[in-house]
Amino acid sequence: MRARRPASPPDPALDPKNPFALILKNSRGAAVIHALNPAARAVGLRRGQPQADALAMIPHLICKPADPEADARALTALAVWAERWSPSVSVDPATEGLEGLFLDVTGAAHLFGGEAALLAQIRDRLAGAGARARAAMGPTPGAAWALARWGEAEGGECIADEENARGLLSPLPVEALRIDDRTLTQARRFGLKRIGDLYPMPRAGLARRFRDGDGVGLVQRLDQALGFAGEALTPVRPPPKYRAWQAWMEPVGDIEGVEARLADLTADLSAPLVRDGQGAKALTLTGFRSDGRTTSLSVRMGRPGRDSAVWLRLFREAGLGRLELGFGLDAMMLTADEVEAMTAWQGALESEAEAKQAESLAALIDRLTARLGEDRVLTAEPADSWLPERAERWRPALGRSPAAAEGDARRPILLLDPPEPVEAMAELPDGAPVRFTWRRLSRRVTRSDGPERLSPEWWRPRPDGRQTRTRDYYRVEDEAGARYWLFREGLYGREYSGAAEERAPSWWMHGVLP
Amino acid sequence: MTPAPLSSPGLFPERPAPLEEACAAGPRDAAALMAFALSRRLEGDGRPVLMTATRAWLGEHGRPYGPGLPGTSLILAPVNTAAEALWTLEQALRSGAVSLALGAVDAATLTQTRRLDFAAKQGGCVGLVLPRGLDGLSAARRRWRISTLASAIDPDDARAPGAARLTAELVRGRGERAGAWMLEQDDETHRLRLADRLADSGLAAIGHAGAPSGLAA
Repeated sequence: MRARRPASPPDPALDPKNPFALILKNSRGAAVIHALNPAARAVGLRRGQPQADALAMIPHLICKPADPEADARALTALAVWAERWSPSVSVDPATEGLEGLFLDVTGAAHLFGGEAALLAQIRDRLAGAGARARAAMGPTPGAAWALARWGEAEGGECIADEENARGLLSPLPVEALRIDDRTLTQARRFGLKRIGDLYPMPRAGLARRFRDGDGVGLVQRLDQALGFAGEALTPVRPPPKYRAWQAWMEPVGDIEGVEARLADLTADLSAPLVRDGQGAKALTLTGFRSDGRTTSLSVRMGRPGRDSAVWLRLFREAGLGRLELGFGLDAMMLTADEVEAMTAWQGALESEAEAKQAESLAALIDRLTARLGEDRVLTAEPADSWLPERAERWRPALGRSPAAAEGDARRPILLLDPPEPVEAMAELPDGAPVRFTWRRLSRRVTRSDGPERLSPEWWRPRPDGRQTRTRDYYRVEDEAGARYWLFREGLYGREYSGAAEERAPSWWMHGVLP
Repeated sequence: MTPAPLSSPGLFPERPAPLEEACAAGPRDAAALMAFALSRRLEGDGRPVLMTATRAWLGEHGRPYGPGLPGTSLILAPVNTAAEALWTLEQALRSGAVSLALGAVDAATLTQTRRLDFAAKQGGCVGLVLPRGLDGLSAARRRWRISTLASAIDPDDARAPGAARLTAELVRGRGERAGAWMLEQDDETHRLRLADRLADSGLAAIGHAGAPSGLAA
């Protein structure tokens, strides 16, 4: 089954009675018609016609430049919106100008009151969203594709099943088989105009004559349409295994209404997860707007869960107000994007108190992350590096359990990253400082300890391309009793001999000690 | 600005109250404040510590550094506004998942600190607000002013800084006498404890003379 987008994006400023065309430069640089409206088609214009010819025929033709990339984006957004009817929606990529969507509605039609009702609903909703579309249903993507574009039943619904697909396809032109232009020309030359003309032909001969060409061969397309050959579709978003869905007659335009309905959705999603012993680690709420757009909000959890009250709270923290409701949502979908078995989490912890503690910590991190964002709830992870600023890495706390670092009283409690330059005076060039100025305040050193030499990590070049240098760290105490962690970068003698192109060793403040 | 000699204090209130407040006496005392703040939790409490501070605070004072915080597993929440920091503090305190929640929040109102106090009692955690000063009203049970002190004498090397020392001045305590205590960091456990009274002489000597080597023996 597929729904087809109109050739041009709807623009209320334009009267549909006026001929209108979108112009695109083709590969040879000539401006040709990329898409056109029914009025333009009615006066005899067609796709691919040079703009100059078209204007000669119809001087009052309204021309606008086409934007294929924006079209593709809009089509993908529409595909997400169409997930209201099917978890597996794919964009038809093959044919330019005949773009459409494939919806896999296997086993889903009864939810919408049958196939005919589903097609009617799709057409009505798309029309309501400002997109004129044709829709048809078939047993294969190929059959649906052909019927949606060339199907006769304009008033009634074009629905084919395994039995009558062959008959319904038979009167359609051969181009309904998604073949390229070369194959089409060749087929016409042989007098093969309708799909039915192909049925009595010997397959071996057909395959031999139409095997070449860039696209998929004629015989394979025929087989795909009739269901003799399979065809894989790539959905715009991977279909989730667990999803809860709700649609209502009147659009919901306020956050309170969304929240109330979200409570039902979380309960609906939780039930199958409990049944299967699964827990969700990531959830996405998708709201379907009546204007053909979607709006969504995601939350992540550190460990799998299925408590609908917790989910609801996370969505509240993440900010339901961030959903763009527009003129209102007429359906909402809650999907579990990441699912994990719950059992794995239960045996891992020892005592019940510990398990409870770990659980409440994970819940806290989830909640903070939902509100503040993943990159603002952090925990330190020790890293393998000599350089103090690289010895730990701050990572999102989500899904990690914070661990205590191995401590050292000679390390600062607050680290300045990056280090700040200081002006220091030492009695000896490679000795401890006796006086230094940091943040415009001069301090006299009363006691000092060092140096602690940290060799440069020569295998990690500095971003500015300069050579990394040795650091000599000192713990110093000033006259007020404050303690600092200073280092001198560079060595006199070995890394600096006084030559003009070399940098003299410099002093830096790297942190404060208690 | 050295605080008055540690005058006739009562017992040091080692057991933290649900909500306390501590500020640094001056710009040099940030590290001492941090060490004091981290000591305001029960010994042997294995729950992690949560710290929230605005990016501006972290830029000014530096970020907490794991290797310098032995035995502390830390969750850091850098936030943009004081409101976010207060919200984070309240969530952490109420959850009961952390042993201590630190928040570098300036100008929390009386109502806000009351909320935090209530959340801390509910969750069984300790909350510590680190404002710039102690001027405003607050529901915190204790309000501390922390200043750094010259370190203890290192028995191995008299010229090197020894065990860290600081003064914790209880400016106001509910039902407690104000006082000041000298605390010292234990080399082994890295926890703060009351400094040895005998050390007072050493402290005075360091304060006046630049070469304390003679007194170290």
